[in-house]
Amino acid sequence: MAVTTATSGRTVRYVQPIVQGRSRFERAMWLFMRYSGLALVFLALSHFWLQHLLIGTHAITTAQTVAFWGAQGQPVTVGQLLFRAYYAVMLVLAVGHGINGVRQVAYDYFGHRPAAYKALMGAVVSIAAVISALGILALLLGAQASPEALTR
Amino acid sequence: MLNPLLITVRESLRYRGRESHWMWLLHRVSGLGIVVFLGLHIFGMSMSAFNPALHERMLEAYKTPLFAVGELVLAALLIFHAVNGTRIAILELRPQLWEKQQVATRWALIITFALAMPTILVMAWKSVSHFVSGQ
Repeated sequence: MAVTTATSGRTVRYVQPIVQGRSRFERAMWLFMRYSGLALVFLALSHFWLQHLLIGTHAITTAQTVAFWGAQGQPVTVGQLLFRAYYAVMLVLAVGHGINGVRQVAYDYFGHRPAAYKALMGAVVSIAAVISALGILALLLGAQASPEALTR
Repeated sequence: MLNPLLITVRESLRYRGRESHWMWLLHRVSGLGIVVFLGLHIFGMSMSAFNPALHERMLEAYKTPLFAVGELVLAALLIFHAVNGTRIAILELRPQLWEKQQVATRWALIITFALAMPTILVMAWKSVSHFVSGQ
């Protein structure tokens, strides 16, 4: 589908006008940035406001993490499963959105130096992969209920 | 010869693209700021499953005055990035609206301010009362 802008009279594509002619990967990434971004507006802002406004940073304890995630070796409630799913979706979208954002910035400043660009992105993707794996694994396992945290 | 990084920073500030350029620059800077915290945050939270003592230490670090200020900056960056990102997504998916870029920019700033101001004030109030009363 195409539309014509009022002043220039030029016809532009309705969808993806900016990435026309780019590779399939770049077009997919362009769309991913838009849709993951729109999802993250709701996911990340609700998360931020819940933890920082309703609860407050100074009230957050390890006992709260255990209450939200469920403790390892204990039965998981439906609420805790929903919270884990919420965090897992947010983690995947946020890390993907973040890596692609960094990739675009890195390409702008290091794109003319392919070796430096590849080394930088290799480091970024490796670090992101390790941190995401830790995060997803933690959500699958649940929190460790340390005795001192539970007796507070 | 100038350092390439210095040139990048200088030209980014000098380029006269007005509002749209400043929004692009702020979007980039806020995104990079958020992604650094994101990595730290996911790592710290994941430690609740592997190393509760380290998890606890990271939660305590968030309660220091340094992070109390950092948290206010994070709120501003996150809200700006969310609102401005919504503006970008809507405009790029709807070329009919390209005639109204400056109106959209102004509204993005107004909405950012309207959401960030109360958030920052409440968080600052919570932090100050915590440090004063010690609770």
